Amino acid sequence: MVETFNDLMLGFSVAFQPQILMYAFGGCIIGTLVGMMPGLGPLAGISLLLPATFGLNPIVAIVLLAGVYYGAMYGGSTTSILMRIPGEAASVMTCVDGYAMTQNGRAGPALAIAAIGSFFAGTVGVIGLMLLAPTLATFALRFGPPEYTALLLMGLFVLAYMSGGSMLKTLAMAIFGLLLGMIGIDIMSGYTRFSFGIVELGDGVGIVSVAVGLFGISEILLTAGNQDTPQVQKPTLRELIPSKEEFRLSAGPIMRGSLLGFMIGIIPGSAHIISSFVSYGIERRMSKHPERFGNGAIEGVAGPESANNAAATGAFVPMLALGIPTSPVTAVMIAAIMIHGISPGPMLIQEQPELFWGFVASMYVGNLVLLILNLPMVGLFVNLLRIPYAYMYPCILAFCILGVYSVSNSIIDVWIMLVMGGVGYVLRKFHYDLAPVALGLVLGPMLELSLRQSLALSGGEYGIFLERPIAMTMFGLGGLLLLLALKPLIFKSKDWRSKVGLEDEAD
Amino acid sequence: MTAPAEQQPSPVASTGIKSDLVSGLVLVALAGYILWLNQKFPVGSLADPGPGYVPMLLAIGLGLVGLLVAVMGGRSRPLAAIRWPEGTRAVIILVACTAAGLALEYIGYRLTIFAFLVFFIGVIERKPPLPVVLVSGGFSLGSYYIIGDVLHVPLPVGPWGF
Repeated sequence: MVETFNDLMLGFSVAFQPQILMYAFGGCIIGTLVGMMPGLGPLAGISLLLPATFGLNPIVAIVLLAGVYYGAMYGGSTTSILMRIPGEAASVMTCVDGYAMTQNGRAGPALAIAAIGSFFAGTVGVIGLMLLAPTLATFALRFGPPEYTALLLMGLFVLAYMSGGSMLKTLAMAIFGLLLGMIGIDIMSGYTRFSFGIVELGDGVGIVSVAVGLFGISEILLTAGNQDTPQVQKPTLRELIPSKEEFRLSAGPIMRGSLLGFMIGIIPGSAHIISSFVSYGIERRMSKHPERFGNGAIEGVAGPESANNAAATGAFVPMLALGIPTSPVTAVMIAAIMIHGISPGPMLIQEQPELFWGFVASMYVGNLVLLILNLPMVGLFVNLLRIPYAYMYPCILAFCILGVYSVSNSIIDVWIMLVMGGVGYVLRKFHYDLAPVALGLVLGPMLELSLRQSLALSGGEYGIFLERPIAMTMFGLGGLLLLLALKPLIFKSKDWRSKVGLEDEAD
Repeated sequence: MTAPAEQQPSPVASTGIKSDLVSGLVLVALAGYILWLNQKFPVGSLADPGPGYVPMLLAIGLGLVGLLVAVMGGRSRPLAAIRWPEGTRAVIILVACTAAGLALEYIGYRLTIFAFLVFFIGVIERKPPLPVVLVSGGFSLGSYYIIGDVLHVPLPVGPWGF
């Protein structure tokens, strides 16, 4: 415990450097704006900002990108509450009761509770990250190729089981992503695979072009032509203060949402989205007056907002401790760290303590910045929402081209982005979840390397996975989830999606 | 921001080919194509898997899952119920972005983005000329200044030096 405290002090000594503070502050502001802009969620925002971090030191780069991430999570809630437009998918549940509160003249308290909940959840998440990541990293030092193979495969099963949509479709998208990850030079044999003679594809398909295409371009393709300039309420500072009753009703959901969100955040998949759905379902079930939900129940804002922010922080645990991304956002952040020659993984905390603890401490600071600055500035931020979409979407498209091109000054990346944008647009029409594609792309080369190394180690015996206790446990958990996923198909019973209100997406 | 809500399928459209059947079969076809491409690469042995080993496993997996999506997609929406009201606009956007990508390295970032924004805001969205020029010019020059000059990210410059 003393050691953790000393490490945290080291982190604060890094985080309180003026340059780091400035970038944390800047990241939060940019993130809030990005989260409020339709078509630019946290993933697209981080991807587009990535080239701008190349010239920065790695600590500054990751602090800036993390600030954008949780700033965007916060920004998404503002548009959900004021306009019933979720700036990003995790804020969908906030729309329901948040917008109802706005219609009831309680927009200010809804915004304030969302901010307080986000702050509390962010802090819980950071404490969890601080305590769990070093322990997990120490444990992961025992991992060899078979354990990594088992871990990655288990992660994909969990991803399929926990996805908001159909398990089969999620699995299909994960495999599609893994196949995209096979493009390029095979590092074990030197063969160039599936590159169609395009030299640039020798290095593989970049996560940024895929992410911006799938999440940014496809959103613009779906929403372009929207002529509405929405009416926006602008609450004053005085109107932001919640009543005592609203505070009392929100306390429980914030605490439950924070713990639940953090736990779900560690699991692969669109955790911040799922956590908000699960939290809303739980709060509605626990409420003595469930009929209030949908008509402006503040618990329906407090729970999901806390959950999605805690999940965003929870996703950093496997990223920093194991070097494994569990969401597209952490996949891009891993790319950001690797550009600076740092390999995320179990040794990161030991070899780069300033990076890890500086990052943890900067998250405390970033959460505080969001709470202190964003509420008073909400009136300023909502002005962005008054820009007609006819002006906004061409500028977002230009940003996408600019951001993707500047990653490696390659026009091929722009073509990949456009192809993935078109593919993502069609897939969304057919209700396919796109997050597993981005995740599979990053996990693909890792999975291939560890599988082939495991087989080489065992002389071609798949039994190696059953001889190693950690690997066997992970495969056992993966198999169990597979059986649980099959249960509703065989017995025609309801699965967890139906119970938390995701049944429409799971059709 | 989420996609606009799909229109409710008409009673006529509630029958017919299901969307999951089509998408599942497309996945099967994609898996077949990947297996065909993968023939070039040695699969190796179990003790020494080659570069074609994992892609082969994944393509088989994709084919099987695609088949299951198709077979179990009886409850999915009919294909005809999927509406594409923004389809034309989506195609225009993709074509314009492709043109911008082609022009970027020839006429430079600022001119490309200026022309790109003029096309969308002025031609497609039919906004008045003054705001079109102000937004297009302001964005192309401003973003170049911030990204190129302040953040030192190299951006393409045209033959005229800007």
